[in-house]
Amino acid sequence: MDPLWVTFIKALVLCLLLLGAFAYMTLIERRLLGRMQHRRGPNRTGPFGLLQPMADAIKSVFKEDIIVTNADKVVYVLAPTISIVFALSAFGAIPGGPAGSLFGLNPWVVDLDIGVLYILAVTSVGVYGIFLGGWASNSKYALLGSLRSSAQIISYELGLGLSVLSVIMIAGTLNLREIVEFGVWTVSPWLWPPLAIAFVAFVISAIAEVNRTPFDLPEAEQEIVAGYMTEYSSIKWALYQMAEYVNMMTAAAFISTLFLGGYRGPAVVERLIPGSSEWPIVWLVLKMAIFMFLFIWLRASLPRFRYDQLMRFGWLYLFEVALAATLLTGAVIAFVL
Amino acid sequence: MVTFALLAAVSVVGALGVVLLRQPIHAALALVGTLLTLAVFFVTLQAHFLAAIQVIVYAGAIMVLFLFVIMLLNVEEQHAGARPWLRWLAYGVGVLAAAGLIVGALADPRQIPDPALARAALRGGNAGLIAEVLFVDFMLAFQLVGVLLLTAMVGAVALVQRPQPPSAGAISAEAREAGLKERRGRPGSPEVVEAGGR
Repeated sequence: MDPLWVTFIKALVLCLLLLGAFAYMTLIERRLLGRMQHRRGPNRTGPFGLLQPMADAIKSVFKEDIIVTNADKVVYVLAPTISIVFALSAFGAIPGGPAGSLFGLNPWVVDLDIGVLYILAVTSVGVYGIFLGGWASNSKYALLGSLRSSAQIISYELGLGLSVLSVIMIAGTLNLREIVEFGVWTVSPWLWPPLAIAFVAFVISAIAEVNRTPFDLPEAEQEIVAGYMTEYSSIKWALYQMAEYVNMMTAAAFISTLFLGGYRGPAVVERLIPGSSEWPIVWLVLKMAIFMFLFIWLRASLPRFRYDQLMRFGWLYLFEVALAATLLTGAVIAFVL
Repeated sequence: MVTFALLAAVSVVGALGVVLLRQPIHAALALVGTLLTLAVFFVTLQAHFLAAIQVIVYAGAIMVLFLFVIMLLNVEEQHAGARPWLRWLAYGVGVLAAAGLIVGALADPRQIPDPALARAALRGGNAGLIAEVLFVDFMLAFQLVGVLLLTAMVGAVALVQRPQPPSAGAISAEAREAGLKERRGRPGSPEVVEAGGR
């Protein structure tokens, strides 16, 4: 256990890192989308557009901060705050490396025995930000967006929870660091098919949970303007954007930690450079980058679901597939191993 | 002790908010606050697993459904209706019940158990112990509760279902298309969400 002030400083540094990463993720996303759509993307501000996030930040801070006259003032201001606070808190439980590997410090903020549940709990409270914002705006498009988001998130949480179960059953622990050290893929080749199914189901549910294309119905701009954030401007709008990107990063890190060995490096590199697997942060960030790229790639390639398709997909396919993966894992553990 | 006093104050204020706030959404939010404070209570008692479950189940699922329904039905602020005496009656009953609870708690002859004993029983508050209680000691009761919840859910679905046309087995393509269109019109039909309750 770290002393309290060390934890505090680490939490502060993590928040700053996440917000910095958010700023540059917006640039990377726009540049990549540009590439995929045969255009250039923002490249005028600074070399390669590297100063674009600064310009965006200055713009959103100095824009007029509108509070809608008929809005529920308290909830209207509270909602974006909830979003960003819970988005930032969720990341703290993700381990960035083995104990004591970061210059003698532990590369995580908190090491919880129930790390998996902590992240699920904190992200499930984060939903309140989205759908209170939509309600407090007192506008029908915003309300539609928030209703969509709550129905969607509850539906896909089932798929998410069920596909985590496979990993938990194999590793026998809820501690994220122990799951990484255990290495769920190394147990038996019999477990590979259910794990692979659970992995795919988990990635899909995670994309739905962070409201990314093709699941971005809460902010579908062709149908309901901008959904829950229609009436938000200036810094409050920016807070929602931050929360969305931080949630994406948490999802990417969570997927990597559960299914892809988290902070540990690949065995091939370990054989070439002994000890490389112990490097903190590096491998986790690389794995996160893969998933962030996947999220952007999907946004450029897939059209949005229709609402009834979204519900049918979540309840009739994803849920059953995740359940099958769980049962299969249980059967393999009970009868084969 | 200071932590406990602070948390207790916050949770009581939240609970009062649930009862006193006129706007249903505000009342529901006060309830969310109270539930989150209860989760923090569990954390201070080193029962981390219970705290996480409290947040996931109550704040993350049940209260989201509550708020969803309040928003969907667009419930307005309630003003005193045709029977103003009803509120005073309710206040009286509430005060009586609270007084009874306090007297009952103070008159209870049982002692608070030694914290060391409680800590030993909790064993760090991890999932394993609770799983043992649920899935070994009280297996039958646990399964029966599951069946009960399932029954309640099937009952709710049966109650809200509209009567089907006699040839339900062979719906024409036209009718199905019309049904789809109708469903598309309403975001998040309540039946779909009903089935999502845990």
